[in-house]
Formats: sequence, C-alpha cells, structure tokens
Amino acid sequence: MGTAMSLAMAKAGADIVIADKRLPAAEQTAEKVMVLGRRALAVATDVTDSRQVNDMVDRTFAEFGRVDILVNNAGLDAAFKPITELTDEDWRSGMDVNLTGAFYCSRAAVKFMQAQKSGKIINIASGFGFRAGRNYYIYSAAKAGVISLTQNLALNLAEDNIQANCIAPGLFWTFQTRGGAAQVEEAKRMRGRFIPIGRVGEPGELGPICVFLASDASSYMTGAVISPDGGSLAAGFAPTGMAPVIPL
Amino acid sequence: MEVEGFNLEGKVAVVAGAGQSLGKAVALALAEAGADVAVTSCTHEPRELKTVEEVAAEIGKMGRRSLAISLDVSLSREVDGMVAKVVDQWGKMDILVNNTDLVFAKPFVEVSDEEWNKVIAANLSGVFFLSRAAAREMLKQGKGRIINITTGLALRGLPNGAAYCASKGGVIQLTHALALEWARQNIRVNGIGCGWFADVPGPQQDEMLRGTLLRYLPMRRLGQPHEIGVAAVYLASDASDVMTGDTLFIDGGVSVHA
Repeated sequence: MGTAMSLAMAKAGADIVIADKRLPAAEQTAEKVMVLGRRALAVATDVTDSRQVNDMVDRTFAEFGRVDILVNNAGLDAAFKPITELTDEDWRSGMDVNLTGAFYCSRAAVKFMQAQKSGKIINIASGFGFRAGRNYYIYSAAKAGVISLTQNLALNLAEDNIQANCIAPGLFWTFQTRGGAAQVEEAKRMRGRFIPIGRVGEPGELGPICVFLASDASSYMTGAVISPDGGSLAAGFAPTGMAPVIPL
Repeated sequence: MEVEGFNLEGKVAVVAGAGQSLGKAVALALAEAGADVAVTSCTHEPRELKTVEEVAAEIGKMGRRSLAISLDVSLSREVDGMVAKVVDQWGKMDILVNNTDLVFAKPFVEVSDEEWNKVIAANLSGVFFLSRAAAREMLKQGKGRIINITTGLALRGLPNGAAYCASKGGVIQLTHALALEWARQNIRVNGIGCGWFADVPGPQQDEMLRGTLLRYLPMRRLGQPHEIGVAAVYLASDASDVMTGDTLFIDGGVSVHA
C-alpha cells in the first residue's frame, strides 16, 4: 500500500522519502519513483524508535527543504491471539508499531509543517479501527487510536493550516502468495466473498485517495475518515447477502 | 496536470439541485473533469431555474453538453420524466448527484404537519424518487454512481433543527442500505457530508451567529462550495469502484469537536 501511494503521489508531481525498517524494500520503491522522474530517498527507519524517526524527518528537510505531506502507513505487525494468551510484550510491540509510530512521525513532521504554516497528514488506519475481528484486540485498539490521533491533529493544528485525515481501508490484497496466478485469484476470491462488492481491494486503488488527501483538492477536509472498503462498514448487521423480501 | 482517477470523459451525469451553491459547484466540477452534465432545480421556483440555466450555460462554455431541467423533486412522476429525458437525449446515465436541500428550522412543538411533510418530501422522498429512477437505468446498464450531498446535521443534532436533521439522517441510511443492495450490481452509492459553507442558507448567514460559529470551527472559516468539487469527481469516477456506502465529511474539522 505504501508503494502504491508513493507512486501515485510521484505521478502527481511529488518527491518522495520512503522510510521503512527494511532498507532494500524502501530502495526498490525509491527506484520506481525515480523512474517516474521524481526525486526519491530511501531511509531505513524503525518507526517505534523516536530518535530514528526524528533523524529521518530532519534528513527529509535537509535534502528537500520542506515537509509537505506525511503518510503514516507503518503497521500490520500485531499478535492475533486469544486475550488470555496475549503477553505484555505482544500488546506493547503491537501498539508501538501501529499507533506510537504514527505519533512519533506526526510529532516530528508537525514541527516543520507549523513553521511552513502548511501540511498534510494522512494516517492509514483500518476498518478494524471501528469494528472488532477474531483476536483483533491489539490491532483494533491501535487503529482506533490512529483514528482518534487523526481527529486531534486535525482539531489542534487547523489554525496552522495543517489538515490531517485518515484512510480506513477494508480488506485489501497485500499478501505475498506462493504459487501462480490461478492460486492468487482463488485466494482473492475466497476473501472477497464476504465483502459486499464481492472482491478485495487492490493497493493501487488507494492512489487517487492519497493524492486527493495530499493536495489542495481536500483543502476544507480535515479530521475525516475515508473508508475504501467495498461496503464493509455499511454492512455488519447481518451476514452479507441475506436480504429477504417482506411485504407491507 | 492530468491526475489518475479524476477523469470523467464520456460520462453522463445528472445533478439534481444545481440551483444551489453546492450542487452548482459539483456540476461544474464534473463538467470540468469531462462529463456531460444535466442540471435540475428542486422546485419550479423561477429564481432557482434561472440559476440552473446559468449553470447549464457555463457547462456549455466548457465544451460539454448540458441540459437545464425544471423539476419538483417531491413529485415522482416528474423525477421519472427527468431521467427518461436524459436517457432519451444522451443514451445513458452514469452518475446521479442528489443535492436536495430544503433548509428549515423551527421549535419542534411548533412545527406543523404540513411543514414536516414538506421537509421530508424534499430532502428524503426526493432522494428516494431520484435514486429509484436512476437505479432502474443503472441496473439495466450494469453500472452506476450515486452521490448524496448531505450535511453534518445528518449525524448530529441542532436545536430547532429536528425535522431537518431527521430528513438528512434518513439520506445517510439510504446511502448505507442502497450501497449494500446494489453492491453486486456495480452501482456505488456514497455521500459527501458538508460542514458550514458560504453561500448556503442556514445559521451561518446570520450576522450574530456567524462570529460564534467561526470561533467554533477549527479552521476558523466557512467552506467555499468549490471545495467539495474534486471529492465529487472522485466518487463519480471509475477509480472509486472500491468505495461504497461511505460519506466523506468535508467540514473544516467541525465534527471532530468534542
């Protein structure tokens, strides 16, 4: 998802700093950005370490002279276990990656954005920030925290001309699967069955949303959540597809 | 710069309620993105129709096709007639924007039966009639987009606003339920929830109230109608196929206030 959003913003004219724990992956994305004719910088960053985060943002400013857009997309690593099996460390590390990282990055970027009197923060939460899932204790709580962090950034930084919004994706295809195209299609189809539109999302579909939130086109939008989820949040009161006819 | 996901070339759109600032802004934005746009009023009021005709003329100047249609959205046969006219003229209907907005405020216990019925008829039944007529076409086509322009008052209360709030709340539920109903038939139903905008009737036009309101708004300003344009283009485009049942709130942060 991070790559898809980076490329979409690059195509729309932005230079991109890709911060990721895994430097080779970040460098791969940076190369794709440069192929599009934009500048790119890959920085190995563990978002759960505030010093690394501060260094990464400082470096961004040093190289590019400004910090216009922050996309907080780090997340996913969390323990999904019955609550009695979750350890203190499971909770702490899951919250660190999915929530604390967004706080560290926002804090660091806002410093520059306030001086510029302009900025855009885009937090990637999840539909699971509104709903529960099987053993989703940590992930859900963290993502709900991200939504709330977004609201507070929006409220408190509005006068600095900083807008903060959230994307809460539903089920998207972000898995690496072994096997050929047929197996991937089958895996996608299986997951898509329970989504109202009948399919999972593709990372590329977040591109236009990210560009929208990163640009002037969303100048009066702040504190909001956009939920590209194929209808999942509109549902949730009955199993999908159960719709009997009941006459008056 | 041509940005992926915001192109409506070849599309036919209907904006119901283009005689009001928000509807007008959406109509112009859709046209700018390449769509042919039919624009309707919500009542047969001459002043409203005049504005609609001006919008149609502006769209024509952009090089797009346009039709100005006088319409009472609370009359289903007129609504059906409007959709039939658009399909007859242009062969299809890809996008429907519902911007019916009868603004009304009064202490609840003084609201008459007639006033209640009028508000519901315009703001809720109107959306029902328009969506039903459009969907009948869109189901035949196998594809469509419906965008409900709504307000923060669809989710929150406001003294003297109960009838209005109830009518708008119903529209959000139509967004949810219809999104699900037509999810497998490729008709996407979403909304844009507007905060306090300039050029729109409401308490923000009151000199005394505006000062208090501006201090309450995180951005310290009203929205300008054009600021919902691009969101409408996105929701109307093929690129938003993954979105349905959602309402995008564009309100300067007012609804995240505690």
